Amino acid sequence: MIQANNLCKVFKDKKRGEVRAVDGVSFECKSGKVFGLLGPNGAGKTTTLRMLSTALKPTSGTAFIDGIDVEREPQRARKRIGFLSGNTGLYGRLTAREMVRYFGRLYGMQKDVIAERIDKIFTLLDMHDFADVRNDKLSSGMKQKVSIARSVVHDPPVMVFDEPTTGLDVMSSRTIVGFIKQCCNDGKCVIFSTHIMSEAARLCNRVAIIHKGKLYADGTVHEILSSSGCDNLEDAFIKIIGE
Amino acid sequence: MHPGTVWTIYKKELTDTLRDRRTLIFMLAIPMVAIPLLIMAISQLMMSQITKQIEYESMVIVQGAEHATDDLMARFRDAGTLKLLTENEYRASDSTHKGDLKDALIAGDFEALVVIPETFDSAIESETPTTVEIYYDQAEMKSEFTVDKLRDVLDPYKEHVVEQRLKSRNIPADVIEPFDVSKHNVAPMRKLAGEKVGAMLPYIVILMCFMGAIYPAIDLAAGEKERGTLETLLVSPASRGDFVVGKYLVILTTSLIAALMSLGSLTFSINYMVKGLASEIGKMLMLQLDVSTVLLIILVVLPMAGIFAALLLSVSVFARSFKEAQNYSNALMMLIILPAIASMLPGVDMSYQLALVPVLNASMIIKNAVSGTVQWNYVATAFAASVVYAAILLFFAKKWFEKESVLFRT
Repeated sequence: MIQANNLCKVFKDKKRGEVRAVDGVSFECKSGKVFGLLGPNGAGKTTTLRMLSTALKPTSGTAFIDGIDVEREPQRARKRIGFLSGNTGLYGRLTAREMVRYFGRLYGMQKDVIAERIDKIFTLLDMHDFADVRNDKLSSGMKQKVSIARSVVHDPPVMVFDEPTTGLDVMSSRTIVGFIKQCCNDGKCVIFSTHIMSEAARLCNRVAIIHKGKLYADGTVHEILSSSGCDNLEDAFIKIIGE
Repeated sequence: MHPGTVWTIYKKELTDTLRDRRTLIFMLAIPMVAIPLLIMAISQLMMSQITKQIEYESMVIVQGAEHATDDLMARFRDAGTLKLLTENEYRASDSTHKGDLKDALIAGDFEALVVIPETFDSAIESETPTTVEIYYDQAEMKSEFTVDKLRDVLDPYKEHVVEQRLKSRNIPADVIEPFDVSKHNVAPMRKLAGEKVGAMLPYIVILMCFMGAIYPAIDLAAGEKERGTLETLLVSPASRGDFVVGKYLVILTTSLIAALMSLGSLTFSINYMVKGLASEIGKMLMLQLDVSTVLLIILVVLPMAGIFAALLLSVSVFARSFKEAQNYSNALMMLIILPAIASMLPGVDMSYQLALVPVLNASMIIKNAVSGTVQWNYVATAFAASVVYAAILLFFAKKWFEKESVLFRT
């Protein structure tokens, strides 16, 4: 479960002065559900997710992962989060197995546990054929699977996806979407950000609309559509942010 | 800091780095292939130059040859590679030879001018002191060699005169020669080759130490940003300090390997490849690197590699991209080369102040160690200073790796 309470992030920019990238964002996502963070580029989606995943420290406000305060106990929180973004790359000179094993070690797992877990994930994602090939030599779809395997090696209860399909081809994108559904079925708490409305409508149990760092709406897709009186999420989005 | 995690990071990064062709080029290919070839080319060139100079028949003009004793002139004419002309012979040989002899010498018409004073003959006879002057052009290697050849004639002649005088007084010649000093004419050749090689060694070792660190450093920090893998590290439970230390140790490793490979390769090339070329002269160039000298060099190179690794890692963490990190590294290289070159300048002597200057201190100590001087007080000072610099720089690298505005610089 993820809870965000009044999260704020202020960046200091030489030209623009203080920039409030995220301004008082609160929401909650439950286990076994997919929560979508919807907004255009620069809305503050990535910054919000980075605060949840402990890459950035909030300027103010708090966030909890399964009840753990990410600011007070980042190490504990990190062990419960799997993180994947569209532009996450791979170590080209390592093989899939080496890469996943490395992250398993970083998450403090024992060697035999990692080996077992790798076997399980690689079977699930059908990766055994290229498990010992260097990442450089893999197709984009295969690379995406390596990224996925990396993000779940420690079997986290919470998954954070930051624009996971951005820049991917159709096949890779389908792999990711399938994986998000799988996570949800496994009872994980999933949060993901996107600017593609159709993707959100297809995947999410709940969505939040974020624009210029502020949260404009939060509810199920059905609730958002009915409250705005629109028949698709894109129109609803435009109406809600008032532009 | 968690040693287990640091070790995990170190192993992974080292594997990754050793699979990188660019790193291997600097770590192995340059030291093992390029350096021996370079040494071979340089030594071959030097050998042929030296041989040419020695075998060259120097032209020498004798002014006042008529005042010289017949014995001296005969000795001059018998000397192997000297072509002797009296002033008159010289002027008669070519109608253009009219002006001042010293100007002609500067112009390079001949290699040396010997001036025999008018009173020479009588002075020798009457046993009064006199002077033979040799004019030469020090800027010209040929001219310098010619002076040595002339001395090889004049000195024995002088001894001969002394001997004659002693004999006339019934004093045995041994009286003025309580012991024998055997002199060999190696000085100009050693100046030419030996010292140059000795001064080159620290320069190459330092440069390779730096170059061995560049690509791993760029790849391990700026490369993570560019690949988009940095964020996955930041959200992992391993602490940021562990990443800095693990990565730092990998850069330090490759930097040390590159430096030591170069040192080994240089020593091997100079001692074995040059010696094979021309044994007589080759031996004079040989680097006397015994175990203790090598250990000393390692002792000096280690903290310097520590400085380079921390410096390059900081720059790489700061850079937005691979390319940017590369530009910073190139700029840094210029800064490193300057102190490395400074130690080659004549008249730069070791002092406590110099021992505190990073890179320059290492360069000086290596240079002196190669020529056989080890001043432990300076070695200790330099070591301590460099360790402190490396620690400060590593601290900065860590600070930057924890700073959001640096990590997510756009």
